[in-house]
Amino acid sequence: MSQPIISARNLSKWYGQVIGLNYFNLDIMPGITGIVGPNGAGKTTFFKLITGMIKANVGELFVLGEDPWMNTPLHTKLGLCPDYESLPGEMTGREFLKLVGGLHTMTGEPLNKRISEVSKIVGMTDALGRKIEGYSKGMRQRIKIAGSLLHDPELLLLDEPLSGTDPLARKELMDLIKSLHREHGHNIIVSSHVLFEVERLTKNVALIYKGRAVATGHISEIRGLIDKHPHNIIIEGDHLNELAKALLDFDYIVSVGFHQEKKGIIVQVSKPDEFFNAAPGLITDIGCEISRMYSLDDNLEAVFRYLVGG
Amino acid sequence: MDIKGNLIGMMAIIRYSTKKILFSKKVIMTILIAIFIAGVMGYTATQDVDRLRDGTNLIDYLILFFFMPIIAMIYAGSIIRDEIEDKSITQILTSPLDRTFAYIGYYLSLVISISIVMVIIVTVGFIAFFGQMGIDGEALGIYLSVCVLAVIGSIVYTSLFQFISLPLKRPLYFGLFYAFIWEGFVGSLGGKIQEVAIKHYIRSIGSGWISHGDIANYDASSVGYSFLVILWITVIFLLVGVLYFRVKEFP
Repeated sequence: MSQPIISARNLSKWYGQVIGLNYFNLDIMPGITGIVGPNGAGKTTFFKLITGMIKANVGELFVLGEDPWMNTPLHTKLGLCPDYESLPGEMTGREFLKLVGGLHTMTGEPLNKRISEVSKIVGMTDALGRKIEGYSKGMRQRIKIAGSLLHDPELLLLDEPLSGTDPLARKELMDLIKSLHREHGHNIIVSSHVLFEVERLTKNVALIYKGRAVATGHISEIRGLIDKHPHNIIIEGDHLNELAKALLDFDYIVSVGFHQEKKGIIVQVSKPDEFFNAAPGLITDIGCEISRMYSLDDNLEAVFRYLVGG
Repeated sequence: MDIKGNLIGMMAIIRYSTKKILFSKKVIMTILIAIFIAGVMGYTATQDVDRLRDGTNLIDYLILFFFMPIIAMIYAGSIIRDEIEDKSITQILTSPLDRTFAYIGYYLSLVISISIVMVIIVTVGFIAFFGQMGIDGEALGIYLSVCVLAVIGSIVYTSLFQFISLPLKRPLYFGLFYAFIWEGFVGSLGGKIQEVAIKHYIRSIGSGWISHGDIANYDASSVGYSFLVILWITVIFLLVGVLYFRVKEFP
């Protein structure tokens, strides 16, 4: 069995009164791994510890078998696509990559050749001569990923790479991330606060909440944990009495109530997937008009509250 | 990483940061100061003044010893702090470049940029005054001496202000205190007390080179001793800055 590329044992980091990570334990194996958690969960703190930008107060962290704190040689094996927005807008994409390449000791023709290669991989060849300030959000993410790929790192760290992108750019970025592992052999750790986005990238997921890894492993196991808990679904529209009555016949419906504020019904279900599969047919059969249907528990906060028993 | 690799990385920082500093929004401040200097020195040239004595005094008091520390503080106190605030320093910190070389790269880009800015301001003042009153060999000698003093000032003030920008989140406040109270007031007092200000040593070097104006009669330390003190201050702050930068966390 292969060794973990990252191993954290009782890792804690606090900033004054604020806890970033709290006795955090996690092993990350080669491949693509998703780190999922709501904002403030500790994802960026974890990335900063991995890249040696901060030092743990307590615990051990090994990245590719090495302690990352004050270990600049380790950075030749790591590529970080950070979550910050402040790229040098006055530079062209090519100038930016030359700067990043210089920081990784690359110069001259080998650097130019590598810039051509990575810009092709990320699909930015035609935009390299344009100033970054004119790039779309998706293009900015691509040029950051290109920068993190320049020195051909063993491990790629992508901090919220899909954040703020439109659906098309998001799909293209997901395809790119998958190809970076499949075709170019990079191990990848990608953070996000949207579980279903990470599901489309990988089956290996670690859920972080309030500085702790609350669940790790295959997505199906984690889904199983989540699905053990009833979900609250709001249905808004007209003539919902009939629908409410019909729903009570299903064994996965825990309760049905009227939601005054939303002028609709609130349904508590134990198997949300089955409910969402059956709902369209049921609505058509009854003939009620639905204006909106959504889960109150789609946000990660709710999911994590379940997992930590809150 | 080996020395060669670190030097390549350091050169990348110098190229990028120098361009960034010189073409940042702070260039507006440089232009405004240059306009102010041109206005004051240009107007003075229309009055009944002693060309070499008053011209030297204007450059001496107005540019070298008033604007020099202020400009150094504004540029050197902000570059690393701004990159920490907007997180762009991440690019440097996650590269395999040794932090010592990264810090020196920032320092050298600041020294180059501040020197260029100061020489431009000195040149504007010189042309505004001596352009009207006559430029000869003596005037050019004053000009060149002041330009070299401006470069020396850039070297020493940058090491100080770059260092203070690391632990302080608002280095500007310390910088204003230092520039106006320490350099401006304490450094202007008579006797030994003025030796605690950097400007005393810059003026001391200048007094050995310039034979006009108040600086020529300045109660100076010797030129050699002043050079040593400036070198010592520069190295000490650079060293402390490097050591601090190496172990600093960037949350």
